[in-house]
Amino acid sequence: MTNPSRQTLLGSLPASFDSGPEWLRALRGRAADALREQGLPTKRTEAWRFTPVRSVVDAEFSREEESAPSLVSAVPEGVAVRSLRQVLQAEPELLAGRLDLGGAPTHFAALNTALFSDGLWIDVPAGTAGEAPIELAHAISTSSERGVAYPRVLVTLGDNAELTLIETYAGGEAEQLTNSVVEVDLGRNAKMSHVRVHENAGLQVGRVDVRQGADSSYRSTVVTLGGALLRFDVRCLLQGKGAECQLDGAYLIDGEDHVDHHTLVEHQASHCRSAQTYRGIASGKGTAVFDGIVVVHRDAQKTEAHQENRNLLLSDTATVHTKPHLEIDADDVVCSHGVTVGSLDQEQLFYLRARGIPEDLAHSMLTYAFLKTIVDRVSHEPTRARMREALLTRLPHGDDIEGVA
Amino acid sequence: MLKIEDLHVEVDGKPILKGINLEIEAGQVHAIMGPNGSGKSTLAYVLAGREGYDVTKGRVLYKGQDLLEMAPEMRAAEGLFLGFQYPVAIPGVSNIYFLKAALNAVRKHRGEEPLDAIDFMKLSKEKAALVQLPDELTKRCVNDGFSGGEKKRNEIFQMAVLEPSLAVLDETDSGLDIDALKVVAEGVNSLRGPERAMLVITHYQRLLDYIVPDTVHVLIDGQIVRTGDKDLAKQLEREGYADVQGAQQL
Ligand SMILES: Nc1ncnc2c1ncn2[C@@H]1O[C@H](COP(=O)(O)OP(=O)(O)OP(=O)(O)O)[C@@H](O)[C@H]1O
Ligand SMILES: [Mg+2]
Repeated sequence: MTNPSRQTLLGSLPASFDSGPEWLRALRGRAADALREQGLPTKRTEAWRFTPVRSVVDAEFSREEESAPSLVSAVPEGVAVRSLRQVLQAEPELLAGRLDLGGAPTHFAALNTALFSDGLWIDVPAGTAGEAPIELAHAISTSSERGVAYPRVLVTLGDNAELTLIETYAGGEAEQLTNSVVEVDLGRNAKMSHVRVHENAGLQVGRVDVRQGADSSYRSTVVTLGGALLRFDVRCLLQGKGAECQLDGAYLIDGEDHVDHHTLVEHQASHCRSAQTYRGIASGKGTAVFDGIVVVHRDAQKTEAHQENRNLLLSDTATVHTKPHLEIDADDVVCSHGVTVGSLDQEQLFYLRARGIPEDLAHSMLTYAFLKTIVDRVSHEPTRARMREALLTRLPHGDDIEGVA
Repeated sequence: MLKIEDLHVEVDGKPILKGINLEIEAGQVHAIMGPNGSGKSTLAYVLAGREGYDVTKGRVLYKGQDLLEMAPEMRAAEGLFLGFQYPVAIPGVSNIYFLKAALNAVRKHRGEEPLDAIDFMKLSKEKAALVQLPDELTKRCVNDGFSGGEKKRNEIFQMAVLEPSLAVLDETDSGLDIDALKVVAEGVNSLRGPERAMLVITHYQRLLDYIVPDTVHVLIDGQIVRTGDKDLAKQLEREGYADVQGAQQL
């Protein structure tokens, strides 16, 4: 039985866009045209080779009305958090040229551009340091069984501005789709710490697009705790000299989860640094994918770029696909990448057991420690504690290893 | 306490230990000396239960039980302690948490109540002071970023907390400066008692000045070629292994 209010994602694109400012209608129109021409990705699309995307592309969803994330913290002084919908109605010129700042989007991000109806704009003016973090909760409403939501967040930091942003994506049913876009624009010497936690998150496709000015710093920690189909893309454009980004991720996969992290760091200017450390644990029949690309443009001399992906494979039926790669067109660069897919370190395991710690407990301790080193990079203690807790509840013997570090 | 009978061990099909016989009574300290690659660490690992060692012949009795049948954690729970020659670092696991988990696992096996956080901290402070391990190191992750000497001190610190009945110390003295050596030796000596025994593996007579052994064994090419009292260690220091082995063969 089909539900008349449901449509495929592509089928839900309107023929024309009639509301909103002229520039937005044009933006949406171009995104829709591109989608109609290229379609959504299939298994034959290189960047989607390992993602079982058909279950999303062919499915029918009904549109969820409310898709702005909710603000669950205070707003630091000097920082403005506004509804995108309201700004687009009242002062649309403020946002002209500030959406899709990384260029014309494709695939799911294009779908978001065409269809988002609301979202948040977090603006930190030049010189403002928002000390306390801003926390956003994305929870898809469950008014219908197969809903789709298009959350959109725009973060702009002026020169020398600072912000910590924490986003949690939680509570989706296996059949609810969240297709999010977060855009970040960092001015000269701006600093942003960005934490994203995906907990039991159903179907999710998410993109984070970061554009960095000179000497800016972007640090992101992603913690992904399972989900039916999760696909996250982060792209950092290092456009100003001396910018740096650090992308860290931890994922824990079990059951039939599929979790897919893609990163793209483009060194477009000289003297920039980037470092990526993703670590994951795959057990059950879960699948993890890591695909990281670092591109060093010809003029980006004195680049330093590092990339590391380490995986623990805890069952024979779990799968890890990992593909870090570097494309380097400059000659004066320091780059490295490394990948491991393995089991627990036997020497460490023996050391613990030789002190009397039972084997299964030793397993849990080492498994937890493996991911915890990523979580510990989050500077905001309450968030760190929450993540540790979330990891522990998902690990066998979690109760027994609470104080592990 | 420990009885090793005609122990033969292979690694990847290669014989390493070729018929070891050794008996240690409660209250005794035995030392094993021998050239590099003679099988000292292999013996220590086999006693502690590390995987990858094929026992092709012989047996080991510990407190009357078949040691080789027991899981590593069971051996530890029964009071066996191995001080590692190369202690591994475990990033992400705090030293103090790990040791508390270990102690409480051992206590559980003995039918004792677990120590709570406060009592454990008290005990750990006391033992850390004994081996002069800085507080900061007890709180770091296990051996993570420790210097060679700090790792060895950490081994003795763990031994002091766990109070084993049989301690096998594999070159705990190498990498230690002379002051640290004394501290470690004091830690070891404070644990000596009629109920406990020790097997001390070392290359240096120097350690045996501080931890005076009842018996010294010389292990060469997987076999104990000589056994004597503490003076044998002095003779080895003077004459080297070649002469000692030669003398044996005459
Ligand atoms: N896993 C292994 N694979 C192959 N050979 C091994 C392995 N472990 C030990 N061996 C070999 O067994 C022999 C004994 O090694 P062992 O570590 O027991 O020596 P040792 O007496 O402790 O030496 P050292 O004084 O240098 O510590 C060596 O020849 C070593 O190469
Ligand atoms: Mg050795």
